[in-house]
Amino acid sequence: MLIDQTQTAARAAPPTILDGYRALPGTYDELVEAAGTTRQHAQMVASLLANMSADSFARCQALAELSLAQRGVTFSVYSDERGTEKVMPVCLVPRVIGAAEWARLEKGLVQRLTTLQLFLDDLYGEQKALRDKAVPADLLLGSKHYLPQLRGMKPPGGVRIHIAGIDLIRSPDGVLRVLEDNLRTPSGVSYVIENRLITKRVFPAAMDRIGVRRVDDYPTQLVEKLRSVSPEDPERSTIVVLTPGPFNSAYFEHSFLARSMGIELVEASDLFVSGDEVFVRTTLGPRRVHVIYRRTDDAYIDPEFFRPDSMLGVPGLMRAWAAGKVTLANAPGNGVADDKAIYPFVPDLVRYFLGEEPILDQVDTKVCARKADLSYVLEHLDQLVVKAVDEAGGYGMLMGPTASAAELDMFRDRIIADPRRYIAQHRIELSTCPTWVAEERRIEPRRIDLRPFVLTGKQGSWVLPGGLTRVALRAGSYVVNSSQGGGSKDTWVQAQADGTS
Amino acid sequence: MISRVADHCFWLGRYIERAESTARLLQVTRTLAFDAELPPLYCWRPLVIVSGQYPDLAEELGVDAVGNGETVQRYMTWAPDNPVSIRNSIRAAREGARSIREVIGHDIWEAANELFLWFMSEGAAAQYLNDRDEVYRNIRRSTQLCLGLMRSTMMHDEPMDFLWLGVMIERVGQTARTLDMHHHIRGAAEGQQQTLLQAALWLSLLRACSGFEAYMRKQQGRVSGESVIAFLLFENRFPRSLRYCLRSALGLAKRLPSPGSRGITDARKRLDALDHWLDGQEKAGVQLSEHALLTHVVDEIGAACGELQGGLEGEEPVAAPQSEAAQ
Repeated sequence: MLIDQTQTAARAAPPTILDGYRALPGTYDELVEAAGTTRQHAQMVASLLANMSADSFARCQALAELSLAQRGVTFSVYSDERGTEKVMPVCLVPRVIGAAEWARLEKGLVQRLTTLQLFLDDLYGEQKALRDKAVPADLLLGSKHYLPQLRGMKPPGGVRIHIAGIDLIRSPDGVLRVLEDNLRTPSGVSYVIENRLITKRVFPAAMDRIGVRRVDDYPTQLVEKLRSVSPEDPERSTIVVLTPGPFNSAYFEHSFLARSMGIELVEASDLFVSGDEVFVRTTLGPRRVHVIYRRTDDAYIDPEFFRPDSMLGVPGLMRAWAAGKVTLANAPGNGVADDKAIYPFVPDLVRYFLGEEPILDQVDTKVCARKADLSYVLEHLDQLVVKAVDEAGGYGMLMGPTASAAELDMFRDRIIADPRRYIAQHRIELSTCPTWVAEERRIEPRRIDLRPFVLTGKQGSWVLPGGLTRVALRAGSYVVNSSQGGGSKDTWVQAQADGTS
Repeated sequence: MISRVADHCFWLGRYIERAESTARLLQVTRTLAFDAELPPLYCWRPLVIVSGQYPDLAEELGVDAVGNGETVQRYMTWAPDNPVSIRNSIRAAREGARSIREVIGHDIWEAANELFLWFMSEGAAAQYLNDRDEVYRNIRRSTQLCLGLMRSTMMHDEPMDFLWLGVMIERVGQTARTLDMHHHIRGAAEGQQQTLLQAALWLSLLRACSGFEAYMRKQQGRVSGESVIAFLLFENRFPRSLRYCLRSALGLAKRLPSPGSRGITDARKRLDALDHWLDGQEKAGVQLSEHALLTHVVDEIGAACGELQGGLEGEEPVAAPQSEAAQ
C-alpha cells in the first residue's frame, strides 16, 4: 500500500496521524522504505494507523496508560521517599517483524545460544578452545566475570543458559545485529506480556487479520524448561523464583513470573542448606527445593562462596549446586560469556564449536588488546564509541562523535595505559519505528532495539516469538533504557510468510 | 506455605485492623470530648495510656500534652516516630501487601496501595485540617474494603487463615484496650456521678467498638454498665467481643499446620487456655472494675503472638525431614 497524501488531500479526508511520516535520512525505518512506500509485512499496521485520527489514537493511548497503572505494571524508583513505582511508558504503535525474517532470526539465536553454552562448558571444563587459541586466553581469564573456582563443576541438568535475552539493533543496511548478550538475569519479559494484553484490547481486529504470534505461553514454557532440568524427578520437583526483595527495581517482574507460573516467590532468608540439599522454610516445616530461578547476581547467591563479608544470599547454596542437588537458573559463572571483551569473538566461537557460519551478524568491534585495532582506534577516536569491557549501563563509555577534545584526550590516555580494558565500535544509526509523540499529537520516527528471549531446557531451546522492543521516546535520542526516557512497544511477529490469511 | 509469607499475611491482617481500630477510636473520642463535659485530659490521656505510648509521648512533649486533644490526634495519626500511629500502620500494611502481592492477589494490593497513596497526599493533609471526621471515615472505609476483599477474592486456605488470625488477634487486643481505656475514663470521672454522663460514657464505649447498634437491638434500648461490659466481653455473636475474637482466633489457629513448629502449637494451647479462663470469669461473675481481667487478656495475647512468630521465624531444623536422601 502506498500512503499517498495528494489523494488523501483531494478527497478532503480528515487528517490521519500518519500524514507526512518519513524515515530519517540515513536510517532504516521499520514501517516505510526511504521512498515512503510501506514495507510489505507492515501494511496492515500502516492501514490501521492511516485510519486513525489524532483524537482517536490519543484516546487509545490514554486507555493503555490507565490500564498499565491500574494493573501496577511498574518499576521501582529508589529515590522516591513515598516508595511509589513508576509505570513503564508504552507506545501503542506496534513494531512488526515479518515471518521470514523471524524464522531466520530464531535459527540464529538458537545457534548463538548453543555456541555460548558449549563455550561455557569448555571454559569451566577442559578449556580446549583456549589451547586451540579460538579466543585469546589472557582476555578470557582476565575477565572479572570468569570464576576459576567453578572449574570442574557441572550444572545439574546440563544447561547453563536457561534464560537468555539477546539485544539486537538494526543498522541502516537493514541487517539485525547482535549488540549484547545477556546470559545472567535478563529482565523485561513481563512488559512483553503486559503490552500484549493492552494491544489486544485496543487493536483486536488488526491483530486478528495480521495473524500475530502469541506471547502469553512464556510462563508455561519457562516453568516447563525449569522443571526439565531438575536434579530429581521433574514431576516431584519444587521450583521457586528467588528475588532480592520488594525494593529491587524489577520486583514487579519477579512477582509477575511467580504468579503466572504458579510457583513460590522466595527471598534468600527463606532458604537454607542442610546436607548439601536446599530447603525452603514453610509452615509445614522445611521443604526440599530442586530448581531455583534466581534473579540475584552471582555475587549475592552464597556468602560462603563469593563474598565472605556479605550477609546476603544463602550460605552453602554453591555447595549444593556443585553436589548436583539443586539447579540454579541461570548457572553461576555465565557472566564471562556475555563480557564485552568476549563479544567480538562469538562469531569465531560459532565456527570453532559448530563448524558453521554464524547466522546472525553483529556489530564490527575493535579490540584494543590487538595491536592493529589499537592504532585504528587511536586514529579514529572521534568517530567511535569506546566501551570499558568491565562496566555496564553506559558507564565508562566515550561517545566519540559528540565528545569534547578534553574527553577524547582523557580516553586516549586511558586506552594507551590499559588497552585490554577497551573495545570500540562505530556508532550505529539504530532503526526507527513510528512512535506516538503526545506533545505533538502525531507519529514520528523514534529509535528502537529488540530483546528476544530464549529459553533452554533439557529438550532444547524455545524462542519467544517477539521480545521486548524498547524505544527512545525523545527525539534524536539513542538511549532506550526505561530509567532514561525510554519506553516499550509491543512486538508483532507475523504468523504467515505472505502476511495474509 | 513459606513461613515468611505466612508471617507477612499475619502482620498484614494486624496492621489493617490496627489502622481501622485506631481511626475509629480517635473519631469516637473526639465526639466524647466534645459532648461529655469532661475535661479533655480525662478523655485523651487514657487513649494514650492504652496504646502503650504514654511514656514516650509524655517524655517527648511533656505531661500536659497528653491532655491536649489536638496533640494526641496528631501523634496517633501522623507521627513517624510513634510505632502505632495510623501512618505507620498504613505504611507497614502497604509494604507487607507489596511483598506478598503474588499471594494476596491484585485487588487487595491495589486497595492497600491506594489507601497509602491517598493518606500520604496533600489532599489528605488538607482534609485533616478542614474535615477531620472524613479522614477517619476514609481510613475506616478503605481498611474495611481490604478486609472485605480478603474474604471475597482470596482462596480460603492457609494464607487467608494467617491473615484472619492476624485480624482477630489484633481485634482481641484492641477491644480489650478500648474497654480498659473506658475503665480509666470512668475512674477519672468518678467524682461526677451524674447519670447522664455515665450513660454517655457507656454509649461512647459501644461506639468505640462499633457495637452501639448491635447492643441496642439486643437490649432494646436498656443501657446498663453491667450489660455493656458483658456484651463486649462475652457476646459470642458480636464480631468484636473478646469471646468472639478469641474463639475465631482459636479456630484458625487449630487449622494451622503444626508439625513444623513448636511455636504454633504453644500459641494454640495458650489461646485455648485463655478461652477457658474467660468462660470461668463469666461464670464467676465479673466485677465492674475489670482492669485485671483486661490486663490478663492483653498479656496472654501478646505471649501467644510471640510464640507464633517464633514458630514462623523457625528454629533451624536439626535434621532435614523431607529429604529424599534420608528416606
